[in-house]
Amino acid sequence: MAGITLQQRRRRFGVGALLPAVVIILAILAYPMAASLWLSLHHVELAGGAVAESFIGLANYAALLDDDSFRLAVSNSAYFSVCEVALVVGLGLGVALLLNHPLGRSGFFRVLLIIPWAIAPVANAVLWKWILNSNYGILNAILTELGLIDNYVTWLGTPGRALNMLLLVDVWKSIPFIALLLLAGLQKIPAMLYRAAWLDGANAWQQFRFITLPSLRTTLAIAIILQTLWSFKLFDLVYVLTRGGPADGTVLLNYLAYRQTFNFLHIGSGAAVANVVFFISLILAIAYIRMLRPGGRKVPA
Amino acid sequence: MQGKPSKLGRLSIQLGLGIFGFWTLAPIAWLVVSSLMQQQALTATPPDFSPSAFTFQNYVEVMNSAAALGRGLANSLIVAVSTTAVALAVGAPAAYALARFQLPGSGPILLMILATQMFPGIVVAIPMFIVMSHLGLIDSRLGLVIVYLSFNLPIVIWILHGFFLAIPVGLERAAAVDGATTLQIFRLIVLPISWPPIFATAIFAFIESWNEFFFALILTRQNAQTVPLVISQFAGQYQTVFGQMMAAATMAVTPVVVIAIIFRQSIMKGFTEGMIKS
Repeated sequence: MAGITLQQRRRRFGVGALLPAVVIILAILAYPMAASLWLSLHHVELAGGAVAESFIGLANYAALLDDDSFRLAVSNSAYFSVCEVALVVGLGLGVALLLNHPLGRSGFFRVLLIIPWAIAPVANAVLWKWILNSNYGILNAILTELGLIDNYVTWLGTPGRALNMLLLVDVWKSIPFIALLLLAGLQKIPAMLYRAAWLDGANAWQQFRFITLPSLRTTLAIAIILQTLWSFKLFDLVYVLTRGGPADGTVLLNYLAYRQTFNFLHIGSGAAVANVVFFISLILAIAYIRMLRPGGRKVPA
Repeated sequence: MQGKPSKLGRLSIQLGLGIFGFWTLAPIAWLVVSSLMQQQALTATPPDFSPSAFTFQNYVEVMNSAAALGRGLANSLIVAVSTTAVALAVGAPAAYALARFQLPGSGPILLMILATQMFPGIVVAIPMFIVMSHLGLIDSRLGLVIVYLSFNLPIVIWILHGFFLAIPVGLERAAAVDGATTLQIFRLIVLPISWPPIFATAIFAFIESWNEFFFALILTRQNAQTVPLVISQFAGQYQTVFGQMMAAATMAVTPVVVIAIIFRQSIMKGFTEGMIKS
C-alpha cells in the first residue's frame, strides 16, 4: 500500500489536475447563475447601453402571478412536458423492447436510432416546418392521397394544433436517446430470469410485467426525470417552428424567458421566469442525483 | 424475451420494427429527396416525382448564393474543434483525479458537474450576455468557445470519470511500486489504454457544440454565426425556396450524422452508461 508521502504526492497531483476544470466551470457558470437570481430581484432598465437597476424584492415574481402570458406559458409547458415525457418514455420503451428482440438486433436499427439524435435540432425544426407546410407540405399530400383528409390542414395554424405538432416533432427527435438508455437497461437483465419464468409457464405479458418492468424500474425513473428536464430545455424547435405563436399557443416557459429578455427587454421579469424554470429543474435534478446513488459513493483509492 | 416463437408474435414484432423504421426514416428520406427536387416539382399537387424533377441545382444555388453557409460551416468547425480540444485537455485529468484520488470535496464537485447539465441555457443567458458585451466577446468565436466549455467540460468530466473508475487499479499500483510518478502513470499507463473512451467523448462534445443554437443566437451577430444559426435564418429568408432550404439543412447535418453513424457504438455505450451509472 502507498506510503504517506506517495499519498500526499498523489493528492497534490489530483488537486492540480482537478483545479483548472473546477475554476473554469465556476467562472463560466457560477457568476451568471448568481447574477440571474440577483437580476430577478431588481427592476432593470436599459438606457443608452447602460443598465440601471433598482431593488424591488420579489415584485418581479409577484407580477408573474397576474401575468396572463406567464399563466399560459405555465399551462403550455405543463401540458407539453407531461405529454412529451409520457410519449417519449412509452414509445422509447416499445422501441427498446423491439430492438432487444432477436429480430430487431441488426445494426440497421441501431443506425436508425442514432440519426435523429445526431441531427441538429434547428435542421430538424426546418425539416418539419417543410413537412408541415400547409400548402405544399408532404404530410398534407400523403394524407390527401390516402383519403384521410379532404382539405389541406394548416398544421401550425391554431394554438392547440401547433402545440401538438411541436410535441410530435420533439417526440420524434427524443425517442432514440431514451430508447438507447432503456435498451442498455434491458441488456443488463439476466436471461436466466426469463428462462426460469418460461419454464414456470409465464407468458410474454407476465414476463414483461414481473421481470422486465421491475428490473427496469430505476432506469425508467432516470429516463422520466432526464426527459422532463430536457423538455424544459426545448428552445430551438419553438424558435424555428412557431416563434411561440399562434396567439402564444406554443410559448413554453423557456421561450417566454427568452422573449421577455431579448425581445421585450424586460430583463428583471425575464430573469424571474428563468429562475422559475431553474428551481423546477433543480428539484428534478436533485431527484435524479438521488436516484443515481441510493447508498453513497465509493471511490477506489 | 423467452417463449415459444409463435407466428403471431413474430409477425407483430416485424410489424413494430417496420413502423419504427418508417417513422424514423421517412422524415430523413424526405429531407434528402426534396433537397434534390426542383421547386415546380415540390409545389405541384401532388408533388411530381418523375425523373426529370430531380436536380443538383439546389446545392449549387445554396453554395453560390449563401456565403453565410460557408462561413457558418467554417465557424462551426472551428468552434466545435476548439471546444472539444480544450474540454478534453482540461477535463480528462480532472476526471482522472475525481475517479482515483480521494480528494476533499470531490463528492460535491461531481454533483455540481452533474447539476450543470440540468438547467436550460436561459438561466445563465442574461448575465452571460452582459459579461460577454463587457469583454467585447459578442459575435466572436472565442466567446462561443468559452460558453460551450461551460456545458461540454462537465459532460466530458462526467463520462470520462465513469470510464476511469472502471479501469482496474492494479496496473497503476504496480507502476507506483516501481517508482513512477503520478504524472508518469497518468501519461504512460492510463492515457494509452483510455483512447477509445476519450475519443468517444470527443465525438460527443463535438456534436453537442456543432448543433448548439441558443447561445449562438444570443451571442453572435454575423461574423461568428455557426451553422444552425445560418440554417434558421436561411429558413426565415428563403422559406418558400423549399429545395434550397433542404439542401442547406442536409449540408449542415451530414458531417455530424456521418460521424455519429461511424462511431455509434462508442457514443451509445459511453453516453447511455454514463447516464444510468454513478
